[in-house]
Amino acid sequence: MSSPRRAWAMLAVALLVLLVLSPAIFIVQMSFKSGLEAFQMPPTFTFQVTLQNYADVLQGKFLRALTNSTVTATVATVLSLALGVPAAYALSRARFRGAGLVSLWTLSTRMAPAIAFGIPFFLIYKELDLIDTRLGLVIIYLTFNLSLVIWMMRAFFDGLPRSLEEAAYIDGAGIVRAFSAIALPLSAPGLATTAIFTFLLSWNDFFYSLLLTRSEAVTAPVAIVNFMNYESWEWGKVTAAATMIMLPVVALSLVVRKYLVRGLTAGALKG
Amino acid sequence: MEHLNRRRFLRSTAIAAGLTASGTRLARLGAQSAKPYAGTRIKMSQVSHAYAAALLAKLPAFEQQTGIKVEIDQMSFPVLNQREDLELASGSGAYDVMQMIFIRSGRWIGAGWAEPLNAYIDDPKLTDKAALEVNDFVAGAMAPFKRGETIYALPWLSDSTVVGYRADLFYKAGYAKFPESFEALQEAAAKIHSRQVAGFVTEDNLHWIFPNWLLSYGGNFFANPPSDLTPSFDTPEAIKAAGIFTTMLSKYSPPGGIKLDPSIAQAIMQQGKAACFLDGMGNTQHIIDPRKTTLGDRMAFTNTPSGPKGHFPQLAVHGYFINKASKNKAAAWEFIKWAVSKETMLSAALEQGHLACTRASVLDHPEVRKKFTWRGSDLAALHLSVMKRAGAGYMVYRTVPQFPPIGDRVIIAMTAIASGQTNITDGMKSLQKDAEAILEKAGVKIRGKG
Repeated sequence: MSSPRRAWAMLAVALLVLLVLSPAIFIVQMSFKSGLEAFQMPPTFTFQVTLQNYADVLQGKFLRALTNSTVTATVATVLSLALGVPAAYALSRARFRGAGLVSLWTLSTRMAPAIAFGIPFFLIYKELDLIDTRLGLVIIYLTFNLSLVIWMMRAFFDGLPRSLEEAAYIDGAGIVRAFSAIALPLSAPGLATTAIFTFLLSWNDFFYSLLLTRSEAVTAPVAIVNFMNYESWEWGKVTAAATMIMLPVVALSLVVRKYLVRGLTAGALKG
Repeated sequence: MEHLNRRRFLRSTAIAAGLTASGTRLARLGAQSAKPYAGTRIKMSQVSHAYAAALLAKLPAFEQQTGIKVEIDQMSFPVLNQREDLELASGSGAYDVMQMIFIRSGRWIGAGWAEPLNAYIDDPKLTDKAALEVNDFVAGAMAPFKRGETIYALPWLSDSTVVGYRADLFYKAGYAKFPESFEALQEAAAKIHSRQVAGFVTEDNLHWIFPNWLLSYGGNFFANPPSDLTPSFDTPEAIKAAGIFTTMLSKYSPPGGIKLDPSIAQAIMQQGKAACFLDGMGNTQHIIDPRKTTLGDRMAFTNTPSGPKGHFPQLAVHGYFINKASKNKAAAWEFIKWAVSKETMLSAALEQGHLACTRASVLDHPEVRKKFTWRGSDLAALHLSVMKRAGAGYMVYRTVPQFPPIGDRVIIAMTAIASGQTNITDGMKSLQKDAEAILEKAGVKIRGKG
């Protein structure tokens, strides 16, 4: 590509990136503004930076909510992968009647909007004394994440040539060894992609956290809404908290980005 | 000097130990009688609000005095609505003291989820009636929580609709004072409205804003609530009111003016992008907040305009009640008494800026009057006058148990009309049909049906 064309292409990419990131940029810059400057129209790009909003957020219960989010999303992701990945491998490799049906039924928890399951879950949790507990949230996230893990990972395993595992069987490996030493390492990009999507689903959950927690296990997405005071929303706190919620996801995405891109494009040329 | 032998020493020690033990026991008994609820823990659900900050500030003294440990669970209003409804419907006793939400009071009281308070109020062992002074709560604020003489909640917040406006812009447009009728307001908004400054702004909770017009033009949600709940959205009065109201939204509001949450509408006013803001006192009072605006010295406050049938400012009330499923009802009552006491409410007004109070004595307090007088507008007197006006009983339509879903339909209808998706008559007829369907499904008898 010639230099001018390349420059134009780069400019277009930069503008596109700016457009996509503009909501996040708006939130982050607002979190460093005072109440007086927050809503100035047109927005000011030079302003007195203040950390007061962050100080206010950290004084309240938000840190606890952030910890709840971190614990529940991480544990739910790890458990979903631990249970879902072997299940996906089994469904990919096993030949038995009804294999398709089993796969289909793993989607049953996603066949209706979350709100349809809300009341039953609440009533069951009330009886089991699981309301307002981290364990309760982990169980809910697990049920919803499992189908995602199974369906995503099954597609990755389907894309792996069986001949590699067959070679391992000839060398004396059992199914567990073939899975752990051959299939799993080869599906690392898929695993990373699945992990991040699973984590995001739990991390961003609002509905179940709203429904199944009260004060102890409240997660960050619900805690952030509670900055919306009845008489006047605390925009500074809302944007500071939103920035804090975004940070772990951005960090996680950066750590696994190499795998993420490979995972997202895996199989793109297949067939 | 008398010799201290072994026997005397033992006798003295025994007497001293006995006296100490009985003294400690007496002291403990005394403390117990002063703190009959020592060791009791109660939990309360409460909207995030300045009043909660006032409660939290004073809570250590209450806990010290009574021995009750209180956990105040603050949440945003949308979250509170969902959580309280679910907790009550499921019979959970997780919250002992709860916030009675005005528009849900009909359903909650009707379902028997709120403990009647009369037995607690009338028991001299539990209540010093002179100190509580129930009659100090303005009638308009108490009305939604009473069924006959039975009291189900005590109010702490009453949001009265008022107008905050830019006196300089209205003056420049030829108005020495704010227009007194909705039609005059529309004319003024047309004169002021420009690309830079909208003539009018309000929040998107339109079932709360539209009734200011609807009732003033002789319309209502229902024919004669609560006895006759036949919807009356397709009457000529309602259609006329909807026409004027939606014109204000479509022609004289800022871009996106149909769907502005209260805080955004408030910010638009604070940033000088609108000439007047009609909303509840709780939101409107903050348009002069010096942390968020530099235009405070150009703002003034006044009554909402009137229509041909009179002046019908709206009033939304929130109170505290004892959850019927609570296991700590007496302690919950002890807390409610304190939470709505004159002292607590006065401190909320003076220290936390809570103007939307419910006690006449607090709103009449000289310090409160002084604190909330802004450029000649006495906001406390304004608020008190709306509460007294609403005491006439015209707000009863909002406590009909089926109001919440019908209110949601009102929002949809006003939005559809203002955005031009439907014309006024068709929009109101469609609203009428939907309201009838909601009421019929709930088993409410509607005139001319079945």
